[in-house]
Amino acid sequence: MNTLTKYCDTVTVRNTSDIVLARSCARALAARLGFGKADQTRLATAVSELTRNVIMYAGSGECNVTDTSDAEFNRIEITVKDHGPGIADIELAMQDGFSTGGSMGAGLAGTRRLVEDFSLESAPGLTKVTVSLSLRRT
Amino acid sequence: MRIAIPRLGRILLCAIQQDLSDDDALEFQSNLLSTIADVEALGVVIDISALDVVDSFMARVINDTASMARLLGAEIIVCGIQPFVALTLVEMGQGLLGANCTFNLEQGLKTLQARIALRGDFTATKDDDEHFD
Amino acid sequence: MSAHNHLAALNLLLTTQRPEILEKWTAEILKSWSKRLPNTFNVSEMRLHTAQLLEQVSQIFACYPTHGLWDFPESHPLALIMSEFSASRAVAGFTPTETAQYVMSLKSVLTLALIRVGITSAAELETNLSAVEDVIGRLTLVTFSAFVATRERIILGQSASLIDLSTPVIRLWDRVLLLPLVGVIDTARARKFTENLLEAITRYEASVTVIDVTGVPVFDTAVARHLMKTVDAAQLLGTRVVMTGLNPEGALTLTKLGITMPNVITRATLRTGVAEALALIGRRIVTIPSSQS
Repeated sequence: MNTLTKYCDTVTVRNTSDIVLARSCARALAARLGFGKADQTRLATAVSELTRNVIMYAGSGECNVTDTSDAEFNRIEITVKDHGPGIADIELAMQDGFSTGGSMGAGLAGTRRLVEDFSLESAPGLTKVTVSLSLRRT
Repeated sequence: MRIAIPRLGRILLCAIQQDLSDDDALEFQSNLLSTIADVEALGVVIDISALDVVDSFMARVINDTASMARLLGAEIIVCGIQPFVALTLVEMGQGLLGANCTFNLEQGLKTLQARIALRGDFTATKDDDEHFD
Repeated sequence: MSAHNHLAALNLLLTTQRPEILEKWTAEILKSWSKRLPNTFNVSEMRLHTAQLLEQVSQIFACYPTHGLWDFPESHPLALIMSEFSASRAVAGFTPTETAQYVMSLKSVLTLALIRVGITSAAELETNLSAVEDVIGRLTLVTFSAFVATRERIILGQSASLIDLSTPVIRLWDRVLLLPLVGVIDTARARKFTENLLEAITRYEASVTVIDVTGVPVFDTAVARHLMKTVDAAQLLGTRVVMTGLNPEGALTLTKLGITMPNVITRATLRTGVAEALALIGRRIVTIPSSQS
């Protein structure tokens, strides 16, 4: 799987190996931007959570990994999107311990704790979660 | 994708090398449970040193596997958690992986053997004429 | 660029009275920098620099546009020169004012000189004065922001090294680690020492980790949370944690937060904590029978 080391920006997510691919993309860009291993793991884990949700609730979706660095900060932004039924009660979903899929319940609330910026929009037909991490340039 | 479950006497070893799908996880768990039952396993070591990401799904798989095995009377050890995987699990607020954790397989086996030795049902040490599958 | 010379007065001034203007300007700078320690700048170098700068500024006035303001992008050579100059002042420890004065004092010298010339037309005086305002004003801004940027970079660099140096993970014994926490624990430091600790625990397969908080002056809810994360993650890796040095205030805070730290061995002093740690690996410190004291 040599393609895993190539920089890629959008991954279509349909199954477990796509989750792994999306994680590698996030990790690769994060490493290139100078994020340490701990941050790389946080990002990869966030991507894992979000893309797994996509597969569980919408069947398929996409994960976008982008470099949104500016003069002061190196920044990586990840957007995971699907066209599934949407999250009925966003506030509830963001609470700790909440989960409909039977997972440990860390889900969205846990993911939010791993990143700096976290935004979520959801309506039937489109759910979009965007997360980002930044690193001050020295 | 099958996860092999070699035996070391009445101890089972397995390594989760990569992410599992829902189906893979179910298959692994039922394999492990039937092996535990067949062999009357006293202990299981689950090696996750190859996992550089453990999200809430995988954490649940590991935890559930440990619970199931315990219900069948086997002691469980998880070994090889990578440092930043541990950190991320804690930061996410993920409940601690129920099982005891060790750094590597060797320590895992030692710990298991020590625990097993304390069990009431432990009769003999000699099952060594059985080999790896 | 047009040579319309609508800044006739200013340009004449700079051509015929250059040395006097230079001298007045340099005198102003020296006055402002007089409190500076002698080693921080070289006077003859400074004179050379001001002479060159005045030459550049004169050329700008000679080509100043008839309409609109002077075009001064970030990439303009003069901007780069001023940035570099300003950065070197920042590194040398000059104050922001001293650095800004360098350029600003030229404005007052030129303004006064223009007024003394006795321009009769108010409109002409205004044109000349606003050109001075425009050019010197912008130069001052560039100087100032370069100074600030350099200062920030220095401070950040220092914090980064402090963070690195401040919490080493010490190998106390084979498979026993010690993390002595000293000083204020903020999020950045907590992250760094947690990451360092976890890597060390894994690398050395530490059976026991002693975390000493004697040196942490303030134990508030934020610090308690950072510490809990570190302890939880360490325990997840399989090490036993011994915590030492908590003071009554810290004990109060942790209890109020409902943090009981199950599975953590707590001891009041580092000494007893180390003894516990050693015991966990089957060791203890004994007197060597034949030693002379």
